[in-house]
Amino acid sequence: MLSTREIKQRIRSITSIKQITRAMEMVAASRLKRVEFRVIASRTYTEKMHQVLSRLISCRPPEISHPLFTDEGHKAGNVKIVLITGDKGLCGAYNNNIIKKTVEFIRENASKKVKLILLGKKGNIYFSKGNFVYAKERYIPEPVEKFGYNKVQTLAAQLVAGYEEGEFGELHIFFTKFNTVMQSFPTSIRLLPLEKDMFDLKGKSVGEYIIEPSADQILEHLFPKYIETQLYQCILESLTSEFAARRVAMIAATENAGEMIDELTRSYNKARQEAITKELLEVISGAEALIQG
Amino acid sequence: MAKTFKFEIVTPEKVVYSDSVQSISADGTEGAFGVLADHAPLITELRTSILTVNDANNKTVQFALDGGFLEVIANNVIVLTDACVAEGEVNVEKTRADKESAEKTLSSGGSAEEKEKAQVNLKRANTWLKLVNK
Repeated sequence: MLSTREIKQRIRSITSIKQITRAMEMVAASRLKRVEFRVIASRTYTEKMHQVLSRLISCRPPEISHPLFTDEGHKAGNVKIVLITGDKGLCGAYNNNIIKKTVEFIRENASKKVKLILLGKKGNIYFSKGNFVYAKERYIPEPVEKFGYNKVQTLAAQLVAGYEEGEFGELHIFFTKFNTVMQSFPTSIRLLPLEKDMFDLKGKSVGEYIIEPSADQILEHLFPKYIETQLYQCILESLTSEFAARRVAMIAATENAGEMIDELTRSYNKARQEAITKELLEVISGAEALIQG
Repeated sequence: MAKTFKFEIVTPEKVVYSDSVQSISADGTEGAFGVLADHAPLITELRTSILTVNDANNKTVQFALDGGFLEVIANNVIVLTDACVAEGEVNVEKTRADKESAEKTLSSGGSAEEKEKAQVNLKRANTWLKLVNK
């Protein structure tokens, strides 16, 4: 049994923890709101880009000879992964889930040479030690939140160039897809090589287009752009999921702290009551002893 | 009133413009062109240039685009571009600074890659400024 003083001290410290978690929750909420706007805007762009690309492909001959569509001449065993994690913890299982998914992929593809490009400090910490150090290629030491579109362009250009040179045969992105604040999914997509099925219009043909200058020339610019937008979209999805996860975790922490305070207050009152009873008993029995004596 | 069609400008950051309009005129890589309602399906690449919109109320609105693509399909016109600003949104000081730093890079000589990037930045800054000065 703790003494009343010790219990009081505990209550005090938990109250200050509760204040901190509540503040963190509010910070996460406001950041979430900001990034949610961005993810929605970017989703529109990505979808429209996908539609335009699909329609453009549908009115071309079925064979596409673009280098991003083939893995011929590539080192087929080399797989490149862009892993997007958070920079900070205290966001529930957000970082763990996506890292776990990546580790599973590396295990399943043990025969291939998997190389990781890490965005987000947490991923870097995990893959800088332990069993999978060999998979780390490089870490992008940039806060995920500050990784704007122009930086994505640079990264995408490097990846596309690397792919075209045949340095690796597949490009995957591991990120966390945002659905609602309570729900997000660790997800992986294969970005390269592109597949024709990805742009299937499902029979909704659009007829003839006037294409200027020419389909091939536009595709030449549109494909790398498509990779860029996909990458950017994945980063934003992850960022939104992170803030959502942090918000949920902090709400839970605040609630738990509240419950703990209630419980401690109860045992504090109990202890106090007990102490009073004990003292009373002592006084009464002392008095009785005097009378009898 | 002239027939209208739906026109949108979308960047990765936001939907810049979405409204019914009467006509637009844009600068494609193959030359300037205009779009009215019932235009044939078209896909084209755009230059870093100024795009003029004549909206449903016959008001003219201008935007500066950083390249991009334009698609016309069934009276829906979409412009996909990396960046786009409206007349009132140009940050003149910052654009001037961008322009200067791009010019510096070009004159001081760096790697071909850096120069290429500077060239793109310079072109964009010039277009942005053109939009404000008219």
